[in-house]
Amino acid sequence: MNTHVKTPPTDLSRRSFLVGSAATGLVLGYAAVPGIDQALAAPSGFEPSVWYSIAPDGLVTVTCGKADMGQHIASTMAQIVAEELGASWKDMRVQLASNDPKFNDPVLGAQITGGSWSTMMNFDAMSRAGAAGRTALTEAAAASMGVPAGELVVRNSTVSHPKSKKSMSFADIVKSGKITKTFTPDELKAIKLKTPDQYTMVGVSVPQLDIPPKTNGAAKYGIDVMLPGMVYGKVVTPPVRFGATVKSVDDAAAKKVPGFIKAITLDDKTGSTSGWVVAVANTYANARKAADALKISYDNGPNAKLSSQSLIDEAKRLQKLDDSGQFFVKDGDTAAAFGTAAKVLEAEYTTSINIHAPLEPMNATAEFKGDILHIYSGNQFATRSGAIAAGAAGIDPKFVVMHQMWLGGGFGRRLDADMMVPAVQAAKAVGKPVKVIYSRENDMTMDYSRPLTFQKVKAGLDGDGKLIALNHDVVSAWPTQRWGIPDFLSPSVDKKGPLDAFTVNGADFFYSVPNHNVRAIKNEMAHNATPSGQLRSVAPGWTFWAVESMIDELAHAAGQDPAQYRIALLDGKGKNDGGAQRLRSTLLAAMGMAGYGTSKLPKGEGMGVACVSSQERATASWTACVAHVAVSASGEVKVKKLTVATDVGMQVHPDNIRAQVEGAALWGLSLAMYEKATLKDGGIEQTNFDTYTPLRMSQTPEVAVNVIANGDKPTGVGEPAVTVIAPALANAIFNACGARIRSLPITAEAVKANMKA
Amino acid sequence: MPNLNINGRSMSVDAANDTPLLWVIREQLQMTGTKFGCGAGLCGACTVHVNGEAVRSCQTQVGDAVGKKITTIEGLSAKGDHPLQKAWILEQVPQCGYCQSGQIMQAASLLSKNPNPTKDEVVAHMDGNLCRCMTYSRIQKAIMRAASEMRTASNAGTERRAT
Repeated sequence: MNTHVKTPPTDLSRRSFLVGSAATGLVLGYAAVPGIDQALAAPSGFEPSVWYSIAPDGLVTVTCGKADMGQHIASTMAQIVAEELGASWKDMRVQLASNDPKFNDPVLGAQITGGSWSTMMNFDAMSRAGAAGRTALTEAAAASMGVPAGELVVRNSTVSHPKSKKSMSFADIVKSGKITKTFTPDELKAIKLKTPDQYTMVGVSVPQLDIPPKTNGAAKYGIDVMLPGMVYGKVVTPPVRFGATVKSVDDAAAKKVPGFIKAITLDDKTGSTSGWVVAVANTYANARKAADALKISYDNGPNAKLSSQSLIDEAKRLQKLDDSGQFFVKDGDTAAAFGTAAKVLEAEYTTSINIHAPLEPMNATAEFKGDILHIYSGNQFATRSGAIAAGAAGIDPKFVVMHQMWLGGGFGRRLDADMMVPAVQAAKAVGKPVKVIYSRENDMTMDYSRPLTFQKVKAGLDGDGKLIALNHDVVSAWPTQRWGIPDFLSPSVDKKGPLDAFTVNGADFFYSVPNHNVRAIKNEMAHNATPSGQLRSVAPGWTFWAVESMIDELAHAAGQDPAQYRIALLDGKGKNDGGAQRLRSTLLAAMGMAGYGTSKLPKGEGMGVACVSSQERATASWTACVAHVAVSASGEVKVKKLTVATDVGMQVHPDNIRAQVEGAALWGLSLAMYEKATLKDGGIEQTNFDTYTPLRMSQTPEVAVNVIANGDKPTGVGEPAVTVIAPALANAIFNACGARIRSLPITAEAVKANMKA
Repeated sequence: MPNLNINGRSMSVDAANDTPLLWVIREQLQMTGTKFGCGAGLCGACTVHVNGEAVRSCQTQVGDAVGKKITTIEGLSAKGDHPLQKAWILEQVPQCGYCQSGQIMQAASLLSKNPNPTKDEVVAHMDGNLCRCMTYSRIQKAIMRAASEMRTASNAGTERRAT
């Protein structure tokens, strides 16, 4: 298990929880009071934090410490608070937190949004915050009304006393100024929360609070920030993804562009960028013109001759070495088991480089004001990104205030902080606030991409076709190790030092296989040439591609139905008890919904299954897919339907879960069939949406989603369904036409070439 | 100094004629609902109406928009209550929301000409608008809902006039 996931969650011992009251409003949070505006204007570590406040008009404003990139997490946090608080949904508002550490995730201890962790790791803390507020309001109302607190009922932002028919609104109580209750950490822990049968708001698809401003142009994203006196920066990035240095910059032609201010060569000691220049002008259009007019000569550095082929060749070389990498799983003795196996199969699976390409290009606005550096940007990792901004400025991170904005897509891209560097150094150089906006070309060629991966899987079956041994080698760049944060690495089983589990998560599946090795092998060449990042679903996006394809290949080799073969492997023995049964049930649900195996399909059509425990073993949602495809004689694949079932424990917002699962499934389809980036001469070849081509409306099949929620703790939904699609599709294609595809994305040429005559 | 007719108002802007309309709208007029996505007419995030036609404002020079009627998401309706905007809320379409101004403007140009589109017509009209969150099925549903609302309202209006 990864060390960053600490269970049991919610250690509140270091924090005191205070419910204070003043004429300005009731503020609830860890530690003391003041207003959010002050918190946003002050250096980190100076202001205390708050989770929500109730104003004298009764409006409840929840401060969301998570980045909201379309998963509606701010609204979800408000919903959890409102449930225990007893507030009416129409009174709920949200705002986005600054990088004050007091807004840190209660489990992760940092401000980071990813891993499909947010709901599962904040549900308890937000519930307790809401319940504490209800208790305080109730006690104050009881004192005002002169009735016992135990006789009061809290509902729809009103505290009422049924016997006397007295009632007070939250607004009345806050205005009374009589709330004095404070909570120690122990008292908070002791608060009795509602049981699920008492919920009136959790489980209800309330209207998302962020949606109306996203239909009229009012929502403010990072790119929309306007500061007085602000000027604009356009980056000029080198021909290679990483490793270039600027030899010289000739700005003679740029100087003729009206409004041009300055060209700045970045001095990036954070290692986020290499060989970047930023052109600053009075408007973005002029900054672009100036950027285009700059004549820059580069030393393209050590990666200038590398291509996708070089990276895959290197991966294959590393995989063949016995002493490569570290073990993530080492159960039993695979070598001995292969010796006794009746049948041994080997297969190689690959995935291409993939680009996040959120529709809002990377951007950041930097402003130095007194001692404080203000950054305005939509970012998923304020804790680290603030430190990178500080590094770019040469100041202590405590003097950086990150102003969170709505994110025009994240998908993991905005966990990174490269955009801070040009904004900060340009603002410093010109002495004005600077908004830096990447062009789409900058954004695509400088993405912290999903790494190219190579996986080799070797499996042994006994005489009955039962899987008795599996060796699984995963070779890739190590995206999370790149952050340099030890807590995000995991110890290796063979004690060869920490490994990046975000390259192998998922390979530690819930199938019972007595002899099982998983080796994480770092492709140093790829790591240096294509610094990689966390792309929606991260490792399970490739590990399950290999595992769930191979399981299918094994089922066919054993002459068994691939779905039934999986069900037999999910026996729930030993360490797999619990998870395996849930995954089995989910697979059965998907099969039932899709009508898998109930009728004979026309020639050229096939259904394929896959089931996954994304994201991590400790944080899994149980997800299964039945893909239904039709394959033409020329190898063209038409996806007729994707049927997805997912067990999420508890549904906070059913409609949002469906939206997320559908979006994730379509991401899975897009990655499986439409998205491919390639490296040539050290640079990413695809520069815009003409050559890097995410799914469009005309390519969107029907997606049927079935959500299973049996009242367990809520799990994550933003990513898991990404990972189940590619293997389900490839397995369906095999069943349709006999072509086994082992490389993503799937192309018509590859399908045709592998078809059985 | 070009003079632009935008959302029913005449506004003077200080920009060279070859400046993309997108940046004039966003920076000078500070109407940021129109988004920059690709700068190449490939994603549709910057869609606005020029004389009622949906165009990519990143590919439209400000000089070419002079004397024409420009409408942005901010001017589509007085109170954000165009039938498409209402349908977008009812169907809970947006996720990140960044592409949705462009989606709504693109859809509005369809419904203004074709109040009863088929699903295929919707797909053909909307296929140039990328949604990276992939909310495509909800976009389709919302367009169909809005079209239906608009037809109902229009029929009701006709009936009232008739009586």
